[in-house]
Amino acid sequence: MKRTLLPTVFSIAVLLSAGNYGALSQSSPPPRKSAAVRKTVPKSITRTKKVAPAAKKTTTSAVTTPAKPVAAKVTVRVVDDVELAKLIRRDAKQPRPLLVNFWATWCEPCRAEFPDLVQIDNQYRARGLDFFTVSLDDMAELTKNVPQFLREVRAEQIPAYLLNAIEPEAAITAVDKEWRGELPATFLFDGRGQLVFKHSGRVKPDELKIAIEKVMSDK
Amino acid sequence: MRKLYTTLSLFILALASLAASVPGRVSAGENFSGVAIGGKVNDFKLQDVEGKEHTLANLRGKRGTVLIFVSVGCPVSNAYGKRMEKLAEGYKARGVNIVGINANHTDTIEMIGEHAAGSGLTFPILKDKGNRVADQLGALVTPEAFFLDAENKLVYRGRIDNSRDESSVATHDLREAIDATLAGKTVTKTEARAFGCSIKRVA
Repeated sequence: MKRTLLPTVFSIAVLLSAGNYGALSQSSPPPRKSAAVRKTVPKSITRTKKVAPAAKKTTTSAVTTPAKPVAAKVTVRVVDDVELAKLIRRDAKQPRPLLVNFWATWCEPCRAEFPDLVQIDNQYRARGLDFFTVSLDDMAELTKNVPQFLREVRAEQIPAYLLNAIEPEAAITAVDKEWRGELPATFLFDGRGQLVFKHSGRVKPDELKIAIEKVMSDK
Repeated sequence: MRKLYTTLSLFILALASLAASVPGRVSAGENFSGVAIGGKVNDFKLQDVEGKEHTLANLRGKRGTVLIFVSVGCPVSNAYGKRMEKLAEGYKARGVNIVGINANHTDTIEMIGEHAAGSGLTFPILKDKGNRVADQLGALVTPEAFFLDAENKLVYRGRIDNSRDESSVATHDLREAIDATLAGKTVTKTEARAFGCSIKRVA
């Protein structure tokens, strides 16, 4: 009896976890490759503009199209090195782990990894992870390419900043004394503000998720 | 049977928690400290864009050498093209040679050659296959400069200046280090960082 029961329980567990993965995949953002991301732009813009007619069409289209609302506007705030240091150190009474990603629209691997970061934000924000991004683009991109890209990758819900620092050394040190400024770069701080994980170059989602799970279980 | 199953589950859980707490996560394999300031850079042999082999010994200047890690597709590196060329022209007569090194595994020798010609870069640019020189120096970013004195000892590492936008440059960190060395003075700032593209290393 036990011999037959165990494999059955195991199979059910596997099926359940596969179901969860499927659910995540369905709500996950556009594909990784930036070229693919760019291709989805016209679609998402069209969808944004025609929300009402699409909703009226049929029930089938409502099922096949993710019901995720698309915010009309992305606000990118300017920070200097002092403000950046404050954002990272935080002074919250109930601190949450904090994920910070440094990127730029001119950085191809940054663009390529962004959908993975959006998916991670979708997965962990409700569970207690804070996440913000810092763009190293020129100030001229504050209202142009930066918000446009963030809309393309459906990152409207992630707080976004653009660093305006004449002296980059101070900003880099505020994040990590060992960081040499290479992009992209991703940092994970625990609730006490200690750096517990960092990665430069395109982030490996599985590796980052393990670090997030660990820091959240250590709370 | 239940005991066996419980033991197996505990074993899997232990393995998972072990994987999550691998030491060194903070400096996860991307941290190449390289030669320290004052340390000697070992000789190396790399090919230029025409396939000709060069060593540090035959490229170095009488009074010093600047190795700059560059990239074909990095907008930051490319924003420094004219400034690097000016450095090369200006310091050659003073005994300091500028040498470009491309350690991106994604940039082929042909791409590097075409890019250099198109960008008007006349100083030698070498292909660092397998990132051996980048690893020796701990180079991580493009552009990133390493200034070696006449004895190939590292004097300065880091940015060329503080801004990729030439009109906003406030500190000429690399020039200051070279000028101080040539004048026999102590280099006050031996390291300075700036944002740039990560070097695409071989896996």
